[in-house]
Amino acid sequence: MNRGTRAIDLGLASCHTCGRVSPAAAGHCPRCHSAIHLRKPASLSRTWAFLLAATALYLPAMTLPIMDVQGLGGTGPSTILSGVITFWEMKSYPVAIIIFLASVVIPIAKVGALVWLCLAASGRAAGAPKHHAKLYHLTELVGRWSMVDVFVVAILATLVQLGALMTITPGPAALSFAGVVVLTMFSAMSFDPRLLWDREFGGSRAA
Amino acid sequence: MSEASEDYQPTVSRRRRWSSVWIIPAVAFLLAGWLVWTHYANKGPLAHVTFETAESIKAGETEVRCRSVRVGVVESVALAENLGSVHVELRIDPDSEDLLREDTRFWVVRPRVSSSAVSGLGTILSGSYIELEPGNAKATATRYTGLEEPPVTASSIPGLRLTLVAEEAGSLSVGAPIYYRGFEVGKVERRTLDTEARRIRFEVFVQEEYGALVRTGTRFWNTSGVDVSAGADGFKLRTPSFQSMVSGGASFSVPRGLAAGDPVDDGAVFTLYDDESAARDSGFEPDRRILLFFDQSVRGLNRGAPVEYRGIPLGRVVEVSFTHSPPGDSRVPVLIELDTRTLRHATEEETDGAVLLADAVRRGLRARLGTASLLTGALFVDLDFMPDTLPAELGRSGEFDVIPTQSSGLAQMEAKINAILAKLEGLPLDETLTKFGNAAEETTTTIVDARETLASIEDTLAEARKLLGSDATQSVTAELNDTLAELRSSIESLGPGGAVQGDLRRTLDELRSALRAFGSLSETIEEKPNSLIFGRESSGDPTPRARR
Repeated sequence: MNRGTRAIDLGLASCHTCGRVSPAAAGHCPRCHSAIHLRKPASLSRTWAFLLAATALYLPAMTLPIMDVQGLGGTGPSTILSGVITFWEMKSYPVAIIIFLASVVIPIAKVGALVWLCLAASGRAAGAPKHHAKLYHLTELVGRWSMVDVFVVAILATLVQLGALMTITPGPAALSFAGVVVLTMFSAMSFDPRLLWDREFGGSRAA
Repeated sequence: MSEASEDYQPTVSRRRRWSSVWIIPAVAFLLAGWLVWTHYANKGPLAHVTFETAESIKAGETEVRCRSVRVGVVESVALAENLGSVHVELRIDPDSEDLLREDTRFWVVRPRVSSSAVSGLGTILSGSYIELEPGNAKATATRYTGLEEPPVTASSIPGLRLTLVAEEAGSLSVGAPIYYRGFEVGKVERRTLDTEARRIRFEVFVQEEYGALVRTGTRFWNTSGVDVSAGADGFKLRTPSFQSMVSGGASFSVPRGLAAGDPVDDGAVFTLYDDESAARDSGFEPDRRILLFFDQSVRGLNRGAPVEYRGIPLGRVVEVSFTHSPPGDSRVPVLIELDTRTLRHATEEETDGAVLLADAVRRGLRARLGTASLLTGALFVDLDFMPDTLPAELGRSGEFDVIPTQSSGLAQMEAKINAILAKLEGLPLDETLTKFGNAAEETTTTIVDARETLASIEDTLAEARKLLGSDATQSVTAELNDTLAELRSSIESLGPGGAVQGDLRRTLDELRSALRAFGSLSETIEEKPNSLIFGRESSGDPTPRARR
């Protein structure tokens, strides 16, 4: 079966910045002078590293309070999960669902997906590379929506400053959660999807 | 498309074993661990406080404050096993750990409205909180019993703390003010009922700068509510302040005539008297008990009623009871106690009290009941020298001396009334009544006669009626009717429509015309007397003549 010729077999690499295809041995792109590599350097290890960091920060993001409501009928500090429960009990089902999806489901799914992709790139996961590529695409697309929760807290903390009536201050979990989202985005960025195809098309250089 | 690759020399470098990217997860782990650790491990101590109710206390929300500074938060609220109280766990901030002393006090600040104070209204908006008042003891503790009411004065405020003992609580409540000559110098902190001694105990706080006013000779009395007294000059209504009307108050001072004594320390105990006069009388020390026998009703003579000598208080009535009377004696025994020192002052003699009394009795000292108040009917014992009394000696009954008594003015009045009644009895009322009776009888007979006359009149009237109804009268009336009819017709003929009048009128008309004619005839004759003969000239053209 003709698998076609891969650029890596010809020693050609495309520049990360401007996209020009040039021989990788040059080291720098002739057009924009940024460093060029055949594959993203240390892609898998960087992806793993960012994933672990994101997981580490996810624990305080869930257990520490994300915002503190004080004032008349104030309920004190509340974590993400307690906020979801509060919204659900207040019969704001759409809000509860959105926050649950954005803050709990998507980050965990993203981390899980990237772990799966890393394993796939290392050859330890089953499935066609086409599906893996689709998963990667989906992860990249959806990942950034987890920042919704952080924006909600930021807007509430900015607007609800009504003194003794009601005052909302962000808690330590807000920064942790933002860190989680950013790190998962870095993780997805560090992953080189071309590695998924390398296995199939004949083992060439691993990352 | 692609340039010659042999122009470029590949740079060969050893790949590092560990890329620097692994620093990031390491840092992230450290950060996460540090965040979680500081959150959970650096919590302060836990204090267990027992309250009666967890009203307005919410776990995780209700703050613990000391002088409005947040020092902790309520962590959990749970019912006690015996379901009689509530266990509240407070998480105190780590830097306020040393506030937890043995005598630290906790109470819940919530809106409270009572007769003595309105407090905690700000907590309606901001939510209740638990106030922590740190104690001064050295030892620390973690288990406390919370107060249900905030303490009236913080234990840290310096001052004098005394105990007042009273027979009745009156209207003196917690938070009531303590006055010295009308100036508020302290407050009632607590009141308890001592069931063993059957007394009420008040714990009182006097501010430090006025503590020196309280001496051993000081007397406290209740000035609650309104003091109404009725005297010779009318009613007097007094109240120290509005607050004392509502929540009560007590005053203190050293009564005149008593020594002030030394300043007192914390914990001194005083008696709380019912009013100012009771406090003044407390300086009164009776030294002799006398028995009196009254041969009259002693209703209105109360225990503690005054015994006076010519208006000067000498003692008081101790008891009115038959236990002191010898058997067979029907007189009412009244036991009084006297302060003979006053008597001694009056006589300026340093003689023994018994000798003094015996001498006085010989000179005519007697005891009498007098009316203390017409309004209430209360009596008092009046000792006085009676000029016209039978000579008597100081008696003895049992262990007490007996002063002879004389019946009081009330009894004399009774005697007089009896005399009047006797006189009334002597009046010839019977004869007068018989005379009245006779007159009444005669009147009765007259009335009977009158009734008979009326009856006869009635008969006459009945006969008259009969007469009117008989036939003779009927025919008479018929004839009368006919006569009347004829009269009427006659009158009619005379009347305007009648014939007679018509004739008369015609006659009158003819007369009138005749006269007219005669009149003209006489005129003609006047003017022309020869017209009788020559007749009237009739010219074709009548000429009007001028009137003369």
